[in-house]
Amino acid sequence: MQAETKDPQYADIHRDVVRSIVETGPRYYVALATALGVTLLCFFFPWFYQLYYGIGAAGVNHPQVWGTYLASFIFWIGLSHSGTLLSCVLHLSNSAWRKAMYRSAEAMTLFSLMVAATFVMVHLGRPWFIHWALPYPNQMEMWPNFRSPLLFDVMAIGTYLTGSSIFIYMGSIPDFAAVRDRTTGWRNTMYTLLSLGWRGTDSEWHRLHWAYTFLAVLIIPLAVSVHSIVSWDFALSIVPALHQTIFAPYFVVGAIFSGTAGIVTVMFVLRKYIAGFDQYITRVHFDNLGKLLLVLSLIWTYINAIELFTGWYSGASTEHEALQYKLFGYYAPLYWEMILFFAVAPLLCIFKRFRTSFVPMLILSIAINIGMYTERFLIVGTSLSRQYLPDAWGVYVPSLVELSIILGSFALFTTLFLVFVKIFPSISMYEVKETMDIPKTEPIAPPEGNPA
Amino acid sequence: MTNFAVGLFHGPDSALTAAGTLKGAGFATPELMSPVPIEGVEEVLGEKKSVIKHFTFFGGLIGGISGFLLAAVTAVLYLHPTGGRPIITIPPFLIITYEATIFFGILFTVLGFIISARLPAFRDRVYVPESAVDKFVVTVACDDDEHFKRAETILRDAGAEQVRELAEED
Amino acid sequence: MSILERFAEGWRKYRKPGYYDEFDYHWAMTIDLDKCTGCEACVTACQSENNLPIVGEKGFAEGREIKWIRIERYWEGEYPDVKLRFIPMLCQHCDSAPCETVCPVSATYHNQDGLNTQIYNRCIGTRSCAVYCPYEVRYFNYYDHHWDSPLDQQLNPDVTVREKGVMEKCTFCIQRIRQAKDVAKDEGRRRVRDGEVQPACVQTCPTQALVFGDRKDPESQVSKSMNNPRAYRVLDELNTDPSVVYLKKVETKG
Repeated sequence: MQAETKDPQYADIHRDVVRSIVETGPRYYVALATALGVTLLCFFFPWFYQLYYGIGAAGVNHPQVWGTYLASFIFWIGLSHSGTLLSCVLHLSNSAWRKAMYRSAEAMTLFSLMVAATFVMVHLGRPWFIHWALPYPNQMEMWPNFRSPLLFDVMAIGTYLTGSSIFIYMGSIPDFAAVRDRTTGWRNTMYTLLSLGWRGTDSEWHRLHWAYTFLAVLIIPLAVSVHSIVSWDFALSIVPALHQTIFAPYFVVGAIFSGTAGIVTVMFVLRKYIAGFDQYITRVHFDNLGKLLLVLSLIWTYINAIELFTGWYSGASTEHEALQYKLFGYYAPLYWEMILFFAVAPLLCIFKRFRTSFVPMLILSIAINIGMYTERFLIVGTSLSRQYLPDAWGVYVPSLVELSIILGSFALFTTLFLVFVKIFPSISMYEVKETMDIPKTEPIAPPEGNPA
Repeated sequence: MTNFAVGLFHGPDSALTAAGTLKGAGFATPELMSPVPIEGVEEVLGEKKSVIKHFTFFGGLIGGISGFLLAAVTAVLYLHPTGGRPIITIPPFLIITYEATIFFGILFTVLGFIISARLPAFRDRVYVPESAVDKFVVTVACDDDEHFKRAETILRDAGAEQVRELAEED
Repeated sequence: MSILERFAEGWRKYRKPGYYDEFDYHWAMTIDLDKCTGCEACVTACQSENNLPIVGEKGFAEGREIKWIRIERYWEGEYPDVKLRFIPMLCQHCDSAPCETVCPVSATYHNQDGLNTQIYNRCIGTRSCAVYCPYEVRYFNYYDHHWDSPLDQQLNPDVTVREKGVMEKCTFCIQRIRQAKDVAKDEGRRRVRDGEVQPACVQTCPTQALVFGDRKDPESQVSKSMNNPRAYRVLDELNTDPSVVYLKKVETKG
């Protein structure tokens, strides 16, 4: 398996993926314990402190009523746009290079959405009443306000969560069946249930193909609409810097951009730490992801320039004030750092040598996500600081509780992802097999671990 | 108890040839099990109709109507004037409708898949674990020993590496 | 009426903005900036009347003050030609309020008196109404507040005390309006007379710069005040239709 000269066979990928699920080394347990510990310490503990004392534990004030919680929420929803959207688009365009990575990318989507949902709860003043935002019949005879942009959020994210989980599950059914045959005990029971008795007959494949294609066709407009709707939380206000029609494409492009960078990070980690995966996640994947990053960076730069230009061209004093504050005000260092990481650094992807080297791409992807977070923070921070009435201008500095919760959210995501790697086959076996040549003639070996 | 003749092949082409020959020889429609979807099954075994698209369409329709009704009816049930907007506002409700369309479309597609693929399987059916790894398997129902011998001959002629006899509970 | 006719009638009714044919009362306020001295008596009165929390020095420094009516100060010019302008800013009770549409749980709405009301026990604290308000007059309870003794003895029993996590703002002293309407009903279904109900700020203003009343009544003081040629609305270009009209200060040159 170490010799890269031999192409991997069907049996090889089967063995590698099953092994990644069934065999667990001490390194994994250490990683899981660390992630879980950091999550509890940095995410849940400060959150409970905030629940007890009030939102005052965060740095939000008047007029800066939205802080890093909402910025993080939008950041995580943005990150979720990588997996499922990319996976669906590439499925419909029949591209081969998506096969090895899309399962983990879709998992990224799912867990980003879950983390984003917890950020909603952290952000609310009275989160114990969050169920009031859901439409359910109750004895108060009250329904949520469907005219509210925040409620479009609820419907869109609910649909997206359902759609993503269904999508990743449907794609994994054949792989669950394959892993079921090689495991024993409680794992065997779990995979038997999860695989629904899949046998791999031609009619089952045919149905799965059609269901999967229809789901992909439905999920693409859904994913585009989700982040547009999240952007309309801002764009439907009349805050000068936020009330822009460009926001929907701006957010969607930014989301796909940061999500793709997230996929690069995850691919690097999978490749490095799971035995055998370096055969399936190759330079070709990083090359293509790099090209995608470059294109998205150029589009994002264009949209950002348009926003600046139209704001300046309008001549409105509020727009000028907002722009001037964004570029040269209190948060100016963050703005220029964002430009550096988002618009300038990805230009390195023009060079193929950069795109096909693993560690530089990893560093670039992390930088892009840092820039992304800064952008989300600036959207919230600089716009609410300078609204119409100068007496109500203010500055916002995140508090320790907020910074800790941001860190904890990454740990929460890592924990969920680590659990995922042990339950789902993190590389889609049957799709990678489709890209390989059919196995050469060999004597049939008896299957290992077959339940009696 | 139905007996099945099961042939293991190393590649999809030989499996398809065997299936075609079996069908032509008058056996019941054979089933192909494989680790990856096989191209060209429909030419050999006949067109497959997919009912999933009807489920998706129906689901989308139901979703659209119920999404708009949810928003409009609840707005009228508890009158709550906000912002000088009408009680039944069209642009926000269209967004709700759009999301509900996709939501129900997705759910009904899954339902269609489950119904038409006849999953989950509640009884044990004939299955060869190697078909999930790297072998392409053809199974055909046989009534008696003589049928089985004929099937076995056809399978071996087409290049089967192994032929087994498996039984399935009815 | 057949189902179709009922449906058509309902459609026509519910497509009207706000669905009201007309308000019962349409409470409005004018603020004469020529008479306002910036003494902040209205701020103190509002704080006493509505059980506003005592945020404290630290809270003010953090920018978390809760002042339902605030005096905005704008300095103009360089020393020694410095000029100070102030303008009392309170909830404008906009007829096309941007804050009302965004609440996901319908905790704020426009009632049939033309008031923009906040329902404290429905609020889940998303704070989006504060973002959407261009006048920045909505305040959030970042902590549970308590009043040191003996200040807890001066709380108004007609007004609730808000817990942490809830938005609040000026209500035009809706408890006083409610009481006036009750008195009017007890006295035989008459309408509330002009001047019978005054919010705490209007009552306290030493120069009578604030005038409050029902602008549906053309004879009321506030209606006549609104016809003043000096009248203007703050941020009128945003089309929020505020119910608070300001009378421009008369400048003297030299």
